[in-house]
Amino acid sequence: MTRFIVFRCLAAVLTVWLASMVVFAMVRAAPGDIIEMMMGQMGSSEGEAALRRFFGLDQPVYVQYFDWLGRVVTGDFGSSWRQGSPVLELVFNAFTVSFELALLVLIVSSLIGVPLGLLAGYRAGSAVDTIIQAFNVLFLATPVFWLALMLLFGVSTFFYWSPPTIYVSPLRSLGDNLVILAMPMASLAFLQIAAYAQFVRQHVVQALQQDYVRALKARGVPARTILGKHVLRNILVPLITFMGLIFIQILGGVVVIESLFGLPGLGRLLVNALYARDFPVVQGALVMVLISAIAVNLLVDILYRAIDPRLRS
Amino acid sequence: MPETFDTNRRRLLKSVAAIPLLSLLGMSLTGVSARAAAADLVYGASDPAAKQGGSLTVGSLIEPPSFDIYHQAGEAVNFVAPLMYQTLVYADHDGNPHPLLAESWEINEDASVYTFKLRSGVTFHTGQPFEAADVKYSLDYMRNAENGTIGALDFADIDTVEAIDPLTVRVTLKQPNSAFLITLTHRNGSIIPRDWYAGENARARLNSTSVGTGPFRLVEFVQNSYMRLERNQDYWQPGLPYLDEIVVNFIPNSAGMLVAVRNGRVDMAVLVRPQDAEQLEGVGGLTVQRSRSLNQKSLDLDSEHGPLKDERVRQAIALLIDKEAVMQAAISGYGQVLGTTVPGLQERWGVPLGELPNQTVDVDRAKALLAEAGHPDGIDIELRTIIGYDWMEPAALTLVEQLAKGGVRVAIQRLDLGTWLQNFRARQMGFTLNDWGTPPDPNILYYRHFHKKPEGADFRNWANDEASTLLDEGRQALAYEDRKAIYDRFQKLLAESVPTVMMFGADHIVVVSDAVKNHAMHPIGWHFGLVKTWVDK
Repeated sequence: MTRFIVFRCLAAVLTVWLASMVVFAMVRAAPGDIIEMMMGQMGSSEGEAALRRFFGLDQPVYVQYFDWLGRVVTGDFGSSWRQGSPVLELVFNAFTVSFELALLVLIVSSLIGVPLGLLAGYRAGSAVDTIIQAFNVLFLATPVFWLALMLLFGVSTFFYWSPPTIYVSPLRSLGDNLVILAMPMASLAFLQIAAYAQFVRQHVVQALQQDYVRALKARGVPARTILGKHVLRNILVPLITFMGLIFIQILGGVVVIESLFGLPGLGRLLVNALYARDFPVVQGALVMVLISAIAVNLLVDILYRAIDPRLRS
Repeated sequence: MPETFDTNRRRLLKSVAAIPLLSLLGMSLTGVSARAAAADLVYGASDPAAKQGGSLTVGSLIEPPSFDIYHQAGEAVNFVAPLMYQTLVYADHDGNPHPLLAESWEINEDASVYTFKLRSGVTFHTGQPFEAADVKYSLDYMRNAENGTIGALDFADIDTVEAIDPLTVRVTLKQPNSAFLITLTHRNGSIIPRDWYAGENARARLNSTSVGTGPFRLVEFVQNSYMRLERNQDYWQPGLPYLDEIVVNFIPNSAGMLVAVRNGRVDMAVLVRPQDAEQLEGVGGLTVQRSRSLNQKSLDLDSEHGPLKDERVRQAIALLIDKEAVMQAAISGYGQVLGTTVPGLQERWGVPLGELPNQTVDVDRAKALLAEAGHPDGIDIELRTIIGYDWMEPAALTLVEQLAKGGVRVAIQRLDLGTWLQNFRARQMGFTLNDWGTPPDPNILYYRHFHKKPEGADFRNWANDEASTLLDEGRQALAYEDRKAIYDRFQKLLAESVPTVMMFGADHIVVVSDAVKNHAMHPIGWHFGLVKTWVDK
């Protein structure tokens, strides 16, 4: 197990390093740089040259890269070119917003979606199943952005309420924080609830046809025990993979939601930094996204082995 | 929902009638009533009924990238920077200069030497006193392109800046410039404490603190979220500002903004898409303020770009454009069709549209011109638009239809702002939509954009000698009548040769809750008006 974890961590470091090179080259391959965004229509060529020197953009790209890498390995991600604040701080603050949102969505949607899926699967073909499936189909097909807009407009029109637009961190006030995040969370959760329910239902239907379930039923084991103790356990491995994938998807897919609700998350940070060609922030944010994606994958793999003894050998 | 068309401006117009327009010639105002009226025009009209205190939340779709005001251009910075940083001179809603940090000024006969008497008792947010050395440092720093500053071209005219005594500054220009006072009203002329940029980490520190002399000071600036300004307790104008606090909340999405306005999450919002105002119709407790701007939405034609090299092709394009229809498609009529100047300058400086060539649609003549230019079968051309400028897409689609009638087949090319700016600055703008504004003076509007190189930037490669001569004359002429006659000739030339088609100017649309009092948007679109805005909550 330890060897496995060490090996996976090394692989992860290698992946991040290779990806950082690609990221670095890509952001610089895009036309325009921060000088254009700073000077707008106002600049002069001497001024441009002066700013380019100031940011080190007059150096060849590989020099810039090794310069950056050299500092990153010591934990220094540099400062935002626009605002001078440390990249790590900017990225960390933004990441916590997105992470909290994604985590809330994950918790809420698995707490609702998994039982719904168990129920629908166990009662496959019944009216309850039909209703749950209809819910699934509806929300799997509804674009998240549209749903968010409808929620926002609907609640605003009928209840004269919309979430506060200035973000408050949960450390300052958890209550205010949850009030702000409730609607963005709900906008994302409906799709995920449907996805969980659908996923679990499918696996339950398959499991129920297997011999061990029939044997349990024949022995008179109650349905709740069969589902909770036996079936759910058996589908836990694919379910965790699924949760990992969905978590990364939420983390990466909140950009539109963040912009609609004015949340200072990672997606918005990245998009704004890209538009402004604030390279240190773009690089820092992308590396952070990569690291978190890899970390989630790693966690999923470790959980597999913890849950399923067959994978340990 | 009542809609007011700039009632405050009307009030201002009444009071400005008492002031002779002499100040343009540098004659400082004398007489008690004129002084009082002038003070009343700085930052808009005062309100004797105003209540002190309170907090105002302003929703903004755009966010300043940084407050390093000497190195960071852009409207997002412009619109709040004047609350924290001040210039020597202020331009009122009609473009008249008024003393701000300068108490008065004298101008020599040919408008090449400007001597400013500075206001005494003014302190920076840092606590330092404001003196001539600060003015000298600021102007010298800004005009030195080696510093990577954004206003170097604006101040390229300056020969020397001398601090004569702690409260007197003399600026000598390389050549006469009658528009210099208005040039100084732009935020590029903001005064900061001497040697500021020599300090460690000086650029970044401007994002956590403000160091100007303005009525508000920066307290907090949280990227992608909000910024908070607090009343400057040591501010030099007695009784101002009225508000204790301004919070600017960055909400990047129009739909999110509209909902926030409806539910009172923000007290005021500037709508970038004027047609969004329609969605707030019938909502109680809100007022939509609509006022004219100094902005233009134009179609630029690079005179070195493919078929556009031929003046006849450019004229043909102008003759195919129905500006009114483009405006309706783009901003539902919340604006004004233009001839050759921006809405805020039309009355005083513009040539009436009827007296300008190439303003009305004439498909037959356009076709004939194209044929004459060697394109009997028409031309194919790419029209550039900038991603994120909402008005450009419908405008471009309308133009595609209009131009097709005369055989100009247009394909739309959508560029992101960075790429577009790179083309623009490299003077390879091609055939593109553009969106820009100006401080209220024709010299500033036209000179840099249309004077040939190297004095001007001539972004459209127009290289027109006659126009350049007129622009030089206009810059040097002193009397309004002389300047007007020169700029009239220039505008006719502009309309005749078509390096650009100024299509329309969008009105400023500001939605305010009923608690917001005495707010008037300055035509330039910057939040000067918030100094005299108050809340009744």
